Amino acid sequence: MHPAVELDRVSKSFRVRRAPRPGLGARVRDLLRPQTQAVMAVDRLSFSIAPGERVAFIGPNGAGKSTTLKVLAGILHPDAGEARVLGLVPSRERRRLAFQIGTVFGQRSQLWYQLPPRDTFELLGRVYDIDRRQHRRRIDALTSVFAIGALLDTPVRQLSLGERMRCEIVASLLHSPRMLFLDEPTIGLDVSAKAVIRELLRTESERERVTLLLTSHDTGDMERVCTRVIVIHHGRLLWDGAIAELRRGYLKTKRITLWTEAERLNLTLPGVRVLSSGSYRTELEIALDITPLGQVVDAAVRQAAIRDMAIEDAPLDDVIRALYATAEPGQVTS
Amino acid sequence: MTRLVAKYAAFSRVAIARACRERGDVYGRIVFFAVILGVFSSLWQAAAEAGLPTATEPRALVWYLAVTEWIVLSTPQIHLDIQEAIRAGDVVYRLGRPVSYVGAELAGAVGVLAVRMPLLGLTAFLCAFAFTGWIPPARAFAIVVPFGLAAAALLAALHVWIGLLAFWLHDVSPVYWVCQKLMFVLGGLMLPLEVYPGVIQRIAALTPFPALLAGPASFMLAGGGVTPATLARDLAIWGGVTAAGLGWTFRRAARDVTINGG
Repeated sequence: MHPAVELDRVSKSFRVRRAPRPGLGARVRDLLRPQTQAVMAVDRLSFSIAPGERVAFIGPNGAGKSTTLKVLAGILHPDAGEARVLGLVPSRERRRLAFQIGTVFGQRSQLWYQLPPRDTFELLGRVYDIDRRQHRRRIDALTSVFAIGALLDTPVRQLSLGERMRCEIVASLLHSPRMLFLDEPTIGLDVSAKAVIRELLRTESERERVTLLLTSHDTGDMERVCTRVIVIHHGRLLWDGAIAELRRGYLKTKRITLWTEAERLNLTLPGVRVLSSGSYRTELEIALDITPLGQVVDAAVRQAAIRDMAIEDAPLDDVIRALYATAEPGQVTS
Repeated sequence: MTRLVAKYAAFSRVAIARACRERGDVYGRIVFFAVILGVFSSLWQAAAEAGLPTATEPRALVWYLAVTEWIVLSTPQIHLDIQEAIRAGDVVYRLGRPVSYVGAELAGAVGVLAVRMPLLGLTAFLCAFAFTGWIPPARAFAIVVPFGLAAAALLAALHVWIGLLAFWLHDVSPVYWVCQKLMFVLGGLMLPLEVYPGVIQRIAALTPFPALLAGPASFMLAGGGVTPATLARDLAIWGGVTAAGLGWTFRRAARDVTINGG
């Protein structure tokens, strides 16, 4: 079986205009002959995704995530290397591929702004050559799953962002794609709308075995929708593995909160930082590679009886920040 | 083949639905159209009464202007839609569909024309009749209407071509303005080209503009120099040139495309 996505040393660069030097002469010269420079958006990127996988594709701003997605969707042509999606080369077989993939770009819209979503859905049925009866059944099914029945005949401009995003995702699923590319699908949504979108994406992907490749800056999207994470930085692969492995690999600290009989604890162990202490509650951050967790708990028990205790991983945000800060691009870890 | 037609017809249908919802735009054009015809019919009447030379009788000139304005005002400014989609990045969706991007834009333009042309055509007819009290022979309408539709479709295609330049230019409005002003002069928007100096006429003959405006409208004038056959030939030639230009420009745009935000 083909991998759903296969990238082999794909590169993509853009020419961007360089800001002119100060001074009138330089500005006139820039007007007549603008200076440009090449910016490498994706740099010899390689990875593959198996059918049915749900993969988070993350990186800091400008890392090349959206560019990679657009290369995979056939919208941008790579400068070098080869990309294959569902066995097709996107840049050469864009139209054939379009029937098998869906795209959701969180900051863009494919719905006609002045018209109700139903009009766009009808248009997409024609665009993707879907049999009319089958298309109607599909709209009904997705309308029910995504709870957009009441929105179908409301002009898009009157929908909230969360409602519009549900309609955008339905639009991208109408032709039953085998692969879905999502570029920041929850951007700008409130907490409950995010939760709804994540749940729908996960369940729909499981139900229809749709492969997902999702970019996001929100670690909640990764944790609740995806099982694997690919991290890129400066257009190059930084990490590729399960989210749990990412935590284990980069998690050097744990947070522990102790509720004790004594009002405060006085722990002076190497690698242990007291975040707060008082009112019978002490919060600590422990560097596990310096002092094991058990040793800290033993020390605490020696000072006071413990009534309750909570141990937490550092937030995934911190893990990823540490990954961006410490890892060298190209040194793939997984 | 049927599926292909149905696919692009769907874009036209969406554009029709959109144009019907944007009724204010059509009403604005109707009012503007009536004002323009009113002003110019008074102007030409006054010029004729003052003994100033006019190309032909004033009432025929009003019908001439009614046709040229009918074509210009009916044609959607699709270059602005394309520019906006490129600026906002929504073009990623349009480029990713299993249809021709240019074909879909043209089909959308045809949908807008399908709404505007009958309404503005009716406005042109009623206003021109009200201001002149005269109706040209039915034969003239039989020629003007199909050529007017074809000219408006070609003009819309030129607007799509200008819109494609937004893949490279931040703002295509200057290109549009230059083309529009050239069209007003070299296309004979206000007056038939016969009243212009010879050099202007020779330059105009090298451009598509006479076929877009003066050609169809000249059938409202007695003894216009254009025949249906020559106009059909000119529209076909410029249609071919525009189609080739659109194809070439889009292929380059698709190769060089950069999209804001990645």
